[in-house]
Parts: sequence; structure tokens; C-alpha cells
Amino acid sequence: MTERTQPLVVLACRVFEGLLDQHLPVDVVDQITFQEYGLHRVPAKLQLAVQEYIDGLEEPSLIVLGYGLCGNGLNGIKARQHTLLISRADDCIAILLGSYRRYIEEFESEPGTYYLTKGWLESGSNPLSEFEEYQERYGQEEAEWLMDQQYQHYKRLVFVAHSKEDLQKYRPQAKEVADFCARWGMRYEEILGSEIYVQRLAEIAKSPELVDQEFIIVPPGGELRQQQFISRDDRGA
Amino acid sequence: MSDILERLSTSILEGDADTAVELVQKSLDEGLAAKTILDDGMITGMNEVGARFRRGDMFVPEVLMSADAMSEGLKLLRPELAKSDVKMLGTVVLGTVKGDLHDIGKNLVGMMCEGAGFQVVNLGFDVPPEAFIEAIKEHQPELVGMSALLTTTMRAMGQTIKAIEEAGLRDKVKIMVGGAPVDQDFSDRIGSDGYGSNAVAASDLAKQLVGD
Repeated sequence: MTERTQPLVVLACRVFEGLLDQHLPVDVVDQITFQEYGLHRVPAKLQLAVQEYIDGLEEPSLIVLGYGLCGNGLNGIKARQHTLLISRADDCIAILLGSYRRYIEEFESEPGTYYLTKGWLESGSNPLSEFEEYQERYGQEEAEWLMDQQYQHYKRLVFVAHSKEDLQKYRPQAKEVADFCARWGMRYEEILGSEIYVQRLAEIAKSPELVDQEFIIVPPGGELRQQQFISRDDRGA
Repeated sequence: MSDILERLSTSILEGDADTAVELVQKSLDEGLAAKTILDDGMITGMNEVGARFRRGDMFVPEVLMSADAMSEGLKLLRPELAKSDVKMLGTVVLGTVKGDLHDIGKNLVGMMCEGAGFQVVNLGFDVPPEAFIEAIKEHQPELVGMSALLTTTMRAMGQTIKAIEEAGLRDKVKIMVGGAPVDQDFSDRIGSDGYGSNAVAASDLAKQLVGD
């Protein structure tokens, strides 16, 4: 085991629960905190929550952020006296798929893809839950109009999970959403992702010298910037 | 602000299309100028919508309803605006960039620009760089506006600007960008002429870019 000079702490979205903590178990980490899903829906709130957590840690630490850029929610996060480590990914989809390259391949094969993860199923961040919420608040007709406005251009619904167990466990819920989305002609697919991105994140957390371009390290006093996520090589869509 | 315009502004903010239409009609009946009704009633309301949405105090469905109220009100106001001597400011070509199929915000920008006196050519969504270039050649606009909702697709904005440069058309148009993940810093980096943080800001920027 690598000798550690500073505490290793993890702050992650609950979408990685059962994955990050498996690769970074508590005996090598001083603290793992999972934050609620769906904070990315209001990026300003996600930013606030992450910054508050960082500001609340006194002892200079290596903080692993189990996030991507997440709708710009991680843009402007200040490291303060800590070191930050994060995946250079747009959001959790790339991380669950195993690499940014895989994400871009999927994206290019069908840009009109709406992704589901177990986190989004559990937190109600999916079209079916949204519709139910709208129905209650605005009535049937208005709810249908609102849904059409937001989803009519999508072509594919993809449920992505890192393990077969998760695919199986959440399949009934995902299919319910898929049946609903069929109204816009969306087809349903499942993708078995990979643990490799999270595995690498855990390795680098233990040995930061292994860092490569799939990750970003922010030294003390530094700040995470959108540019660091966007300006990887030119593979982008 | 007069009481009726204040109520009109509130009806836009609350997404109450019926009331908005009623109040536009009433304002016209009372002899208020169409431009005043638009600027001091409707746009004031939309401005607040944009600000609240950014702060997370308002969500997509509410914004959609406000946009609908704005659109219904504008239908009634448009003929009056045309009759008044509001000057035409030029043409804007608008589109959501390649790979991105989100068009709610972009359509709202189109509506605000139209209200401000621009002729709007809306190319829709998933618009490849070549289609922007074709539209510039065909419509010879003063302005090109690009939108993206995803960080994944915002890269296409830079690529589109590059393509416009390579086609030798960059100095023929001003370019503005917007969308949830876009900020001023990004806009500067990709060489756009400006960034609008919401639909009202975008139409203000459009006016500014054509020197109005």
C-alpha cells in the first residue's frame, strides 16, 4: 500500500454508491460522503454543495470528487488548502460507460439519446416521474404539452449501469419509463457499462503520480475550470 | 410603470397566457404604444423569468408556460408593432448546434429577437456547420446565434465558428452564443462576439451588436 501523507476523502454523487466505495473502501479512505442525486438539475446548487463540503474540511486533504463537469456544476470549485482529483468527464454517463471515448461513440451513433441511470430512476429524474409530477401540478393536458416540448426530439432511451446486477435490478423501472417514452417513438436499449473509469480514479487517488489526461488534479490554491473539461483533445463531437 | 403593464409583466412571469392576451388587448385599447407594451410589460416579465431560471427559482415547465404566454401576447401585438415605425434591425440566423436537439431556449431567443425588430431565420436543431454557412450565404444576416444545452455539444460551437472562418464569411457576420453550459469565458475562447445568459439578454446583445 502506498504511504499517504495527507488524508484521503471522497465526495461523490450517490449514483456511484456501491461502485466508488467498492474501489476505495473505508480502510484506505478517511471519509466517504455521498451527496443526493439530481443536484445537477440546478448546477448552481451543486456547486454550492460541493464548495461547502470542501470549505468545511480543515486538514489539508486529497479530495476525490465523484463527479464530472455536470452541467457546469463543478466549474469554479476552489481547492483552498486541499488537492482535488476528478474525472475529466462531462457527466456520470461517461464515467459509467467506462471512458469518455465510449461516451462520444455512443453520442455520435445517436445524438438524440436520453440516458437513464439507477440514480436518475431512484431520484425521479426521468421523463415518467416528471410527467406524474406535472400532471399533479398542472393537469393532464398541460402536462402532456410540457412533456412534448421537452422530449419530442429524442430518439432513444438508454439505461446504463456498470454491472449486470444493476441492469437486472432496475430493468422493470427502466422499462416502465421506456413504455412511456414510446409515445415519442423512442426506442429502448440497455448498455452494460464498465467499472474501469472508477477503478482508475481509485488507483490515482492512491498514487496521484499515475494521473493521465482522463483526470484532472487541482493543486492547493487552484480552481476547477470548465475549460479543463472541454479542451481535452479534439475527439469531441 | 403603469398598473396594467405591471399586471401584464406578472402574467408573463406566471405563464398565464389568457391573462397576458387580455392585458395586451386592454393596453392597446387604452392607447398605449405597442413598443411600450412590449418593452415595459412583456419583456420586463421575461427578464425576471430568465433571472429566476438561472438562480434555480424557476424550472423548465414554468419557463415554457411563460414563453407560451409571451408568444400568445406577441401574436396580438405583432401587427401593431409592424404598423408603428419600429425600425427593422436586420436579420438573425439562429440554430442549435450539431448533435444537440434542445430548442426551447433557442426558440425563445428567436421570439425575443423578433419582438425587438429583427427578421429571424430559425434553422432548428442539430444544425451542422455547413447549414449555418449555407444560411449565411443565402440570407446575408447581420447576426448568427448558436445555442447548445450540453457540455458535450457546446464544443460544436467553436467548430462552427471555425468553419465560418474557413468559408471566408467570419467578417460578414457577428456571432452570439448561449445555452445552459455557456459562459462569457467560453464565448471569448471560441471567438464569438458575445454571450447572452438568457433570451432577453440575447436580444439586448443582438441590438448592441448591430449598433442599435
